[in-house]
This record gives sequence, structure tokens and C-alpha cells, in this order.
Amino acid sequence: MEKTLKKYFLIFTLPTLIAFSFAFIIPFIQGIYLSFCEFTTVKNAEFVGLANYKLAFSEGQGFLYSLGFTTLFTLISVVSINLLAFTLALFLTRKMKGTNVYRTIFFMPNLIGGIVLGYTWQQMINAILYQFETTLVADAKYGFWGLIILMNWQMIGYMMIIYIAGLQNVPTELIEAAKIDGATSWQTLLKVKLPMVMSSVTICVFLTLSNSFKLFDQNKALTNGAPMNKTRMLALNIYDTFYGKTGYEGVGQAKAVIFFLIVAVIALGQLSLTRRREVEH
Amino acid sequence: MKRKMLSTLLCATIVSSMLVGCGSSKEPVETPQTQGETNTTETENKENAEDETAKAEGSVYYMNFKPEVEEQWQEIAAAYTEATGVPVKVVTAASGTYEEVLKSEIAGSNAPTLFQINGPIGYNAWKDYCYDLSGTEIYEALTDKSLAITGADGGVYGIPYTVESYGIIYNDAIMQKYFEMDGAVVESVDEINNFDTFKAVVEDMQSKKEELGIEGVFASTSLLPGEDWRWHTHLANIPVYYEYSDKYATDLAQLDFSYSENFKNIFDLYINNSTCAPTLLGSKAVSDSMAEFALGQAAMVQNGNWGWSQIAGVDGNVVEEENVKFMPIYTGIEGEEEQGLCTGTENFWCVNAQASEADRQATIDFMNWLISSAEGKDMMVNKLGNAAPFSTFNEEEKPADPLAKEMFRFMENGKISVNWNFTTFPSQDFKDDFGAALLEYSNGNMTWDEVEEIVVTRWAEEKEATTGNETENETQAEETVNNEAETVAE
Amino acid sequence: MIQSKQVKRTNAIIYVVLTIVAMVVLYPLFFILINSFKGKFFISRDPFSIPSGETFVGVDNYINGLTKTGLLSAIGWSFFITIVSVALLILFTGMTAYYLARIKNKWTNGLYYMFVFSMIVPFQMVMFTMSSLADTFHLKNPIGMCILYLGFGAGLSVFMFAGFVKSVPIEIEEAAMIDGCNPLQTFFKVVFPIMKPTAITVAILNAMWIWNDFLLPYLVIGISTRYKTIPVVVQMLVGSNGNKDLGALMAMLVLSIIPIIIFYLTCQKYIIEGVVAGAVKG
Repeated sequence: MEKTLKKYFLIFTLPTLIAFSFAFIIPFIQGIYLSFCEFTTVKNAEFVGLANYKLAFSEGQGFLYSLGFTTLFTLISVVSINLLAFTLALFLTRKMKGTNVYRTIFFMPNLIGGIVLGYTWQQMINAILYQFETTLVADAKYGFWGLIILMNWQMIGYMMIIYIAGLQNVPTELIEAAKIDGATSWQTLLKVKLPMVMSSVTICVFLTLSNSFKLFDQNKALTNGAPMNKTRMLALNIYDTFYGKTGYEGVGQAKAVIFFLIVAVIALGQLSLTRRREVEH
Repeated sequence: MKRKMLSTLLCATIVSSMLVGCGSSKEPVETPQTQGETNTTETENKENAEDETAKAEGSVYYMNFKPEVEEQWQEIAAAYTEATGVPVKVVTAASGTYEEVLKSEIAGSNAPTLFQINGPIGYNAWKDYCYDLSGTEIYEALTDKSLAITGADGGVYGIPYTVESYGIIYNDAIMQKYFEMDGAVVESVDEINNFDTFKAVVEDMQSKKEELGIEGVFASTSLLPGEDWRWHTHLANIPVYYEYSDKYATDLAQLDFSYSENFKNIFDLYINNSTCAPTLLGSKAVSDSMAEFALGQAAMVQNGNWGWSQIAGVDGNVVEEENVKFMPIYTGIEGEEEQGLCTGTENFWCVNAQASEADRQATIDFMNWLISSAEGKDMMVNKLGNAAPFSTFNEEEKPADPLAKEMFRFMENGKISVNWNFTTFPSQDFKDDFGAALLEYSNGNMTWDEVEEIVVTRWAEEKEATTGNETENETQAEETVNNEAETVAE
Repeated sequence: MIQSKQVKRTNAIIYVVLTIVAMVVLYPLFFILINSFKGKFFISRDPFSIPSGETFVGVDNYINGLTKTGLLSAIGWSFFITIVSVALLILFTGMTAYYLARIKNKWTNGLYYMFVFSMIVPFQMVMFTMSSLADTFHLKNPIGMCILYLGFGAGLSVFMFAGFVKSVPIEIEEAAMIDGCNPLQTFFKVVFPIMKPTAITVAILNAMWIWNDFLLPYLVIGISTRYKTIPVVVQMLVGSNGNKDLGALMAMLVLSIIPIIIFYLTCQKYIIEGVVAGAVKG
């Protein structure tokens, strides 16, 4: 069987490989190379060594500020999204009537795209702030909390679904047994349920982590960095460097490589955690 | 593991180099097809007929700079295609993003054939794409040849297509109502000829806004990012103009912002005597303030003669055509009694030098049509409201809207026009940062000293970044361009 | 008895909490819906009231927005690009994953890891080079977009399909081969049908991503062609500031959300299952 299948290599893989080379392999290799070059289009690249990386960290670029802002945003949204999503999941797994309707509603925002959602919230938040004689771009903290609210609104439903799936897999016998042993519901939660859904927790934490860290559309739509780029996250910073001004494409590419490395480290962290857990079981 | 990755990479490169072959062999088949498809945005039903002409005569792709006349340009494009069969595509960039959009479009395979630069700074950035227009009909027709953008080689690379003015637009009906009130500071607009008088009038009007039936003297000072060009560009032109005159310069590598206080004078007056609180300005767009003016909620708004179409276009506007007038922007600078409107141009047409010859010719023909055919001239004057500086337009062929009339009145009444020196402002980044600082200032997050600091440092930084290191102090704009061109030639 | 009473009370509290959360979740959608029927100058002044009297303008905003933006054609292109890309993804990455899972050597192994690797690379890393490549190869059109989506979505899809194929016993396929099927026939007659649940998951995850994706179509197709997708049109409507029209914006936001909600309510079961499966494996 393997022998005959082997001959079909091109038929089975060629279309995917062609598209994959166009969309990923070639751009990725070019991207790494270009981060060491000065260029305005891909064709006129000139090797400049590490100059772009040095420039990327220079003060005027605001890259470190964006990194700090993004990290703070990510920390807060990971914690808040997961706490809220887990709480809702607990509520919805109590075998009460009509929970399906709530589940349907809570998950819905997740399907709306970042751009559409960002402008929807921009209008909402501005309408509310208007009553207090101020606006979303008046102060960076409005933009920051606006992004947090928006991210929570979008992601809670998604994470809740994963937690529900996890909680439903907890054997009822275990919970019954705990009850018979006289455990309070709080103790059941901490000692029985939580350890059983740790794999869901890992998944959710990393999903929110990488989604928050890579956030772009929502940031672009909600504040576009205003005021004075104080609400500009990493992805938007990179985008602005590329397309904002001619001559900084190399710096943008260098930032993108750094961004990629950070994301890769996060992903590797997840991988090793999951691996370790798999070994334990 | 590593070795495996490497070999896959190699494999992928081989696959991709095979693809290069495939791609290029397909090209001749694909190109006319895609061209036909993209060119016919406006007239899709005639696709087939146009494909033929597109190949023979080239086509026009205009990258429009002014969102406020986007619809008019689409009409013009359709009319031209109707008249000549040549496809014209018009794309409009959102305000504040022209350079960004042009940059991504011009690098593409379907690049704009006609685009716009805003003066010497723009020419510097786009000179590789500017085609020499000397000897063309449109250049010959230019009444004042010195208005054109010329390169170091003497070529003509940008041709202005309109002259514009801006100042403070006021609603004369409201002003008259005020002058008739007891205790009015002055009795006619003619008496307002300096900042102190202006300020007294404005503040008195603001205190009587209920009696005047307005919500504030000035329409809101739009500071929404991207909507702040009336301040960081137009208003900022005034202090810069006076600083240039003091130093006999037409460009500066370093700006002292010596008239910073004067900018603050007028800016404070705007934001404190407005239809809304200063802290709300960050949500206001230009169209909001034009609507407030049109609906009679504000007596004044700073804008240019192009603003008429926006005022006229507001549903339920109450302002009468004959009451829409201009007055100069006073900031408290010595000798400003003789100052007129700010008049000039930042609208230069350039033809893409890297477009195909057929497309270039089609584009030049299109420009000629706009300034010489009866239909084209009608479009220029009545649809776009352009005061076109070409000999092909006679006395009657001037825009007849109230603001254009006011502009011509000011040109003839002996006042000194303020030049548009903002065409030498270093970059869009500089302007954006200035605008953002003004927003922070009106929200009370920044002091005026900090704003001033940003203007001075960002100006110097961006000047250095855009013109290179060789700029000496106080070189003339044109010389800077020349130097730049020479260094490139070397 | 006492306990059940207590349970009842807790449940009542939980219902109240859930209802409040549900209202908070739905309110933004309700907000844009009511404002889409208001005159554009009333929106910022009076955003929370129900439109009535002079503030009510009927469907003016919708007509206005549609004539200005070409949102209808954008909805069409969004559908086209999403459906074709998802179909291509399922067909081709399914085949690729099958091959990579069944043939074990250093090449297939390396390729498989390349696909997995691509999942963690953020789009910003390749956006500039990819869009210039797309220009060189004339991919700046809907078909080109589908090819790019096939390439960029291949990582996750191959990963999920391969994971599934590995769990399928090889005996069935061998039996089919002995019956005289060639590998292609074997794949389509035997393997593909049993991959259906995974295919649905892959389809849902990719459809959600492609439908909502903004940056790729914005950079590749750009604003100058008539192939704009919904997010690109919405961005342009807001960005095109000379004539900023809040009413039209609200109306267009409503119109762009409607297809998603219909899709969601009809395929809810698959979507939720798909998301869970995708999350657990991804």
C-alpha cells in the first residue's frame, strides 16, 4: 500500500504545497532576510546587518512602550476572561432549565469580526463617555479599559464553551462521592472539579494569551493608537512602521521577527506544559 | 530534526522556483483580463467594448486626494468614459492616509497613472514616479508657470489644478443679529481687523449665545485623529508664515515656533467658545463642524472655499447662500490688520512616470480634456469648484459659489495673502503628532509648553529624516530639492 | 426539603445574574440597531433613546450606506471567498494530511512540522512579503485570495486532519486497495467519508477566520478594486472621513452582522462542537 501511495506524492500534496509556499514559506524566508536589509519594495533590498534591530528599539519607535502596553493588556484580559468564563461555565452546568439559550447568547459575540466589533464598541463607549463630557481618545486609560471590555465581551463565550465541555467530562460519581464525604460545594469545586478540568484551563489560558498578545483588528478599529500612540499594541505598531512612512520597512520587518520570536516562546511554553501533563496521566 | 527542516526548506524553494516559471508563462493571457476587470469599476456593463479600447488607448487611474469631492470625481470619470470610451478609475484615500495608500497602490501592478503631490516635500518623496510634463498642453496653459513644481533638471513634474483660500467662514445673518444688539463690541465685520477686537467680539457673542440662537460661536474644533488637519496644517501655517518672513526663508531645517503664543491665542479662542466642551473635541469630525455651521448652531468655522459643497450638502441647512462669508484668521501678530486670507495650492497633478506609455498618454489627454473641453471645464468649475489657474478658462468660467466669490474679492481688495507655507511642513508624521498634541492639550493632559516642545523637536527630527543630513539652515525649499537630486545623481 | 429550597434560591439568583450578563452581551447589538434608524446628527447627541418623531429616519441610513459603500457586493465577495477557500482547504489539506500521515519518512515528517510551525507564526511576520509576492503573481483578486487562504490556513487544517488519520486503522484502506482501488479512489471512497466530523470542525474554524479576516484582504486586494470584503468596506466607511456619516456606519454594521447571526443560529450545534474540538486539538 505504501509503495503505490508514495507515487501519488504530487497529486496529494502539490496544490497545498504551492499555496503554502506562496502564503507562508517564501514570505517567511524573505521576511527573515529582509529584516537585515533596508528596502522599500522587496526588489531593492540592501543588506544592513543589525541596524534595523537597533532602530526598532530606539525611543522614537515606541516599540518597547507597545510591548509594555500589550503585556499589561494581555495579563489583565487573560485573568478576567478566564475567571468570568469559568464562572459562567459553572452556572451553566448546574442542569438548570433554559441554559442553552444563555449559552447561545454568550457565545454569539465571538463570531463577529474584530473590525465590525471594534467600531460597534467605539460608538458605544463614546456615547457613554459623551455623557461625562469626554471621549475615548481623551485619555489612554479609556482606550485601555475599552480594549479589555471588548476583548472580554468577545472571548468569554468562547472560553466558556471549552470550560463547559471540560466540566461535563467530570464524572458525576466523583462529585457525588465528594458530597457524601461531606465536602461543601466550594471544596468540591477546588478539590474535585478544578483538578479535573486543568487541561481545559491550559487551553483557555493559552488561547486568550496568544489572542490578546496578537490583537490587531480590534485595536485598529477602537482607538487606532490614539491618543499619541498611547494605546498602540505591538501588532499595530508593526503595521504602522511598515505602512506609515517610506523608508522604515526594514525596521517593521525586524519588529515583526521579534514579535514572532515572542509568540513562538509563548507557544513553546504551552507545548511543554501540555506534554508534561500528558506524561503525568 | 534540524536537518529535516533544512531539506524541506530546500524542497520548498525548488517547488517555488518551478512556480516562477509557471507564473510568467501565464502572464500574457492573464494581464489584459485583469486589467479589463479592474478598470471598469464604474461602467461594468460595457466591459467588453472597453477592453478593446483599453488595449489600444490606455486607461486612467486617478488617486484622488480629497474625500469631500469623491462623488464628483466618480461622475467625472463616468462622463469622460461616456465621451471618449477611455476607462477612468478613481480611488479616494481617506483623509490623512493619502501617502500610505498611494505608497501601496503605486507599488502594485495596477498603479495609479495620475496622482497628486502637495508641493516640494511631496515631490521629494515621489520624484521617481513623476513624469516630465514640460511641453504638454496643460503646462502651456498654466497662467503662472512659477506655480508648477520643477525638478533640478528643469523638467516640470507637478502642475497645480486649483488655487484655494481658507480663513474663518462666518454666517453674516448671525453677525448682523449680534451687531444690532445693545452693547455689541463693534458694529460691523469690517471693524474686526486684529486679534484683540476679534477676541472681544467672540467672547461677547459666546456670552449671548442664547439670544443669538446659537450653541457656540465656533463650530467644534475637530480633533478626531485624521480630522485635525485644519489645525496642525492650516492654522499652523500662519505662525510658520510669519516666522519664514522674519527670517527671509522659504523653508527651515529648524523651526523656533516663535509665534507659538499667537497660535495658542486663536486655538484657545476656538476651543473655549465652541458648541461643545473642549474635552469632547476628540470625537468630532470636520463634517460635524460643517454641519453645525450649516444648521445655524455656530456662527463661525475655520475652513476653505472647498467647504461650500459640504455646507450646501447638509440636509436641512438654514444658512443662506448670501450670508456665507470669509474673514482672515487673526492671531495677534503685529501688522495683521493688512492680512488677507491664506491663499495657495497644495494640489499638484503628477503623471506616473512608470506607467505604460499608452496609459500616460491617456492620462495627459484626460487632463487636457478637463481644462479645455466645454464639458471638462464645466466639471472643473461647477462640480469641483476649482479656481483653475489655466488660460483656457475665461472670466466667466470661475466657480460661482459664495466662498469662491469671497476668495476672488479678497484677491482684489489689496489685503496681503498669506502663502501656503505648510507645503514645506516636514511630513505627515509631524502633522499627526502635532494634531495629537493639540488633542492632549484640549483634554488638559498636556501644557502648552509641551505642545510647543513637540512641534519644535518633531519638526527638526522629521526635516532631518526626510531631507537627509546635508540640509543647511535656512536653505530654500527648491535648493533642498536640487541638492537632493544632485546627490542622487552622483 | 430545606436543601432543595436553598438550591431553588441559588438557582433564582443565578438566573438573575445570567439574564443580566445576557443583556450586557446583547446590548451593543441592540445599540447599533436602534441608532441605525436615527438621523445622523442625532446619534452622538442622543444615543440611548429609541428613535421616534424627528429622530426616526426609517431606512434612509441603509439606503445611504449601501449606495455609498457597495456593501452588497462586499457581502457577495465575502461569501465567495469564504466558501471557495474553505472548500479548497478541506479538499486539498485533507489529501495532504492523509499522505503525510500514511507515508513515514524524513520528508513527510519535515513537511508536517513545517505546517505545524506555520501555526505559531503571526501574520505580521509575513504580511509585507506575502502581499508583494501576491502582486508579482497576480493574486490580487478573489481567486488569488482563496489560494492564499489555502496556504495560510493549511497549518491548522493539516494538523487536525493528520491527527485524525493517525487514529484510523489502516486495514480498511488496505482492503480497498486489494479490491483494486488506486490511492485516489481509496481516499475519496473510504477515507474522506470517515473524516467528515473533522472536516466540519476544520470548515467551521476556517470559515469563522476567513469571513472576519481584515488585514489580509485589506493588504492584498486593497481598496482600489471592486473585490472588497465586508471588513474592508466597514474600515473604509469609517476611514473615509471627509463625509463621515454615523447613521450609515450604524446601518452597515447591522447589515454586516446579520449574515453571521443567521449562520450561527442555523448551524449552532456544529459551530460549538467545532470550536470545542478545534480548541482541544489545536
